[in-house]
Amino acid sequence: MFDRDVWQEIFNTLKTNKLRTFLTGFSVGWAIFILVMLLASVNGMQNGFTGQFNDDATNSIFVRPGTTSKAYGGFEAGRRIQLKNDDLEYIKQSFPEDVEYISARYYANTTARYKSETGSYSVQGTHPDHQAIEKTLVVAGRYINEADIINKAKVAVIGRKVAEDLFKDEDPLGKFVEFNGLPFRVIGIFTDDGDDNAERRIYAPVSTYQRIYGNTNNINMIALTYNPTYDLATSLEFSSRLEDLMKRRHKIDPDDQSGLYIFNYAEAFDNINSFTSVLKAIGIGVGFLILIAGIVGIGNIMVFTIKERTKEIGVRKALGARPSQIVNLVLLESVFITSISGFVGLLFAWMILAAIGPTIQTPAFSDPSVSLSVVVTATIILIIAGVLAGLLPAMKAANVKPIVALSDK
Amino acid sequence: MIEIKDLHKSYKMGSNSLHVLKGINFKVEEGELVAIMGSSGSGKSTLLNILGMLDGADSGEYTLDGVPIKNLSETKAAQYRNKFLGFIFQSFNLINYKSALENVALPLYYQKVPRKERQEKAMKYLERVGLKPWADHLPSELSGGQKQRVAIARAMAAEPKVLLADEPTGALDSTTSYEVMDLIQKINDDGNTILVVTHEEDIAHMCKRIVHLKDGVIVEDKKVEQVRAEQYV
Repeated sequence: MFDRDVWQEIFNTLKTNKLRTFLTGFSVGWAIFILVMLLASVNGMQNGFTGQFNDDATNSIFVRPGTTSKAYGGFEAGRRIQLKNDDLEYIKQSFPEDVEYISARYYANTTARYKSETGSYSVQGTHPDHQAIEKTLVVAGRYINEADIINKAKVAVIGRKVAEDLFKDEDPLGKFVEFNGLPFRVIGIFTDDGDDNAERRIYAPVSTYQRIYGNTNNINMIALTYNPTYDLATSLEFSSRLEDLMKRRHKIDPDDQSGLYIFNYAEAFDNINSFTSVLKAIGIGVGFLILIAGIVGIGNIMVFTIKERTKEIGVRKALGARPSQIVNLVLLESVFITSISGFVGLLFAWMILAAIGPTIQTPAFSDPSVSLSVVVTATIILIIAGVLAGLLPAMKAANVKPIVALSDK
Repeated sequence: MIEIKDLHKSYKMGSNSLHVLKGINFKVEEGELVAIMGSSGSGKSTLLNILGMLDGADSGEYTLDGVPIKNLSETKAAQYRNKFLGFIFQSFNLINYKSALENVALPLYYQKVPRKERQEKAMKYLERVGLKPWADHLPSELSGGQKQRVAIARAMAAEPKVLLADEPTGALDSTTSYEVMDLIQKINDDGNTILVVTHEEDIAHMCKRIVHLKDGVIVEDKKVEQVRAEQYV
């Protein structure tokens, strides 16, 4: 294979047919280019989707109450379900093995004021566990702790935007800010990778807010994360157990779809994963189809080359070239054209991705790139493609009768 | 060296078949210089093809240097051709992108002779045909006579038992033809067995024996007084 004579011959044929070689090589290079770009785009989409969800723990489940649509257990349809503190405790005690973190959410809005600055923000009353569920990043101070809940302390963890709006250049930690006229001490500042709107939010102890709003035990939502070692099947099984239990507790028909909403991230995540893998399959499929066109092109040119060189091949055979040596020559030439042009396509795709990939950061599409495994696969595909393209012409060449070369009177 | 017994060959042409060789019996001793003559269609090229293992016979025996040539696979035929035979063609059939030296070295390449040794041997044979100064020239830079001399050097490089020349002077003017024949005679003087297919009377008379073919049979086989080509050069 690393014979100087063989390479001399290959280079000679390529040299004498520069344009033809270029055009055929181009089709394969283009095919690889498209294949890599497609895969990179699918990758980018996947990155985008994953980025959207990374904001929350991927093993989280949200329980939201609704309104029943079916009569059940002596109650009429249309009953509003209300979650209370008891529900949280009940879940905690019923699934000690399954639940990792659990927190209530109590929604409220507030007009916040500090000195002359005011602003309107949404407040979420939560438990300390909420930090882990929402993956809240506290950059200064601390999050709500157990003592705040017990003491119903008037403390608040404010978003970075809130801090910017109200406090300007001042350090908000320890300062008092008025929520609807009541003073809350700022104990922490958080950021959120998800979006800016999340940073316009305020967290406060759930117990504090329940007391401000008329000594209620009501909560709007329960957020929890399950044991992170669970796989998809186990997590789905857990959320259905949770659903059954909560429906029974609130006397909701097991078939009622609107009484209680249980949202399992794993499910959504799984949907996205299957979506992107379908996209990936389509990308690979389309890429391959284009590559086949390229292979046919190479095969075509090899047939021509051999036709032109019939006489030469005949002479070689008369001089003692074995059929296998002729096959080798043709195959090597074909693999050589395919590989070189494929690599050029690969290189181009890679350069474009390296140049513009990192600059693309939209929610649904970010950092399109290809992994080493894709590059390695593409290389293997190229070599196989080269062999396939050269195979038929090579057999044809090997079958050239030396008589043809002799009888050229 | 060569022994042929009752050789038959026919070609299928659509529905009817063309009987080209109708029982050839023929023997060539070592060191002979034989001219095979005949008009076109007489079967002389077919005979040469069979002798050169480029084509198989329908029936009959062919023994080359004591080896029976029969039912050869492509690979085996290639090996035998390489070992036993050297070809000289009418249109030279040099490979146009290889220098004279590389052309001569090609049969040695197929014998898997190492590159360096190959070059040395090829150079030796080029020197013998008087083309050492042209070793690095491409065929396109050589005259017709020079090309045929390169082809002869190539045919000899593998040191074959028999040289088969198919109209070696067919594409050359008479002066160059005699030069080439002079070379062939000298090679024959060194003890090489050579078969020359030709339809030119004067070329045939420069051989030691003339075999006349007509309609697929040998009509005449005679030893002749060799005319030396040297005197015309």
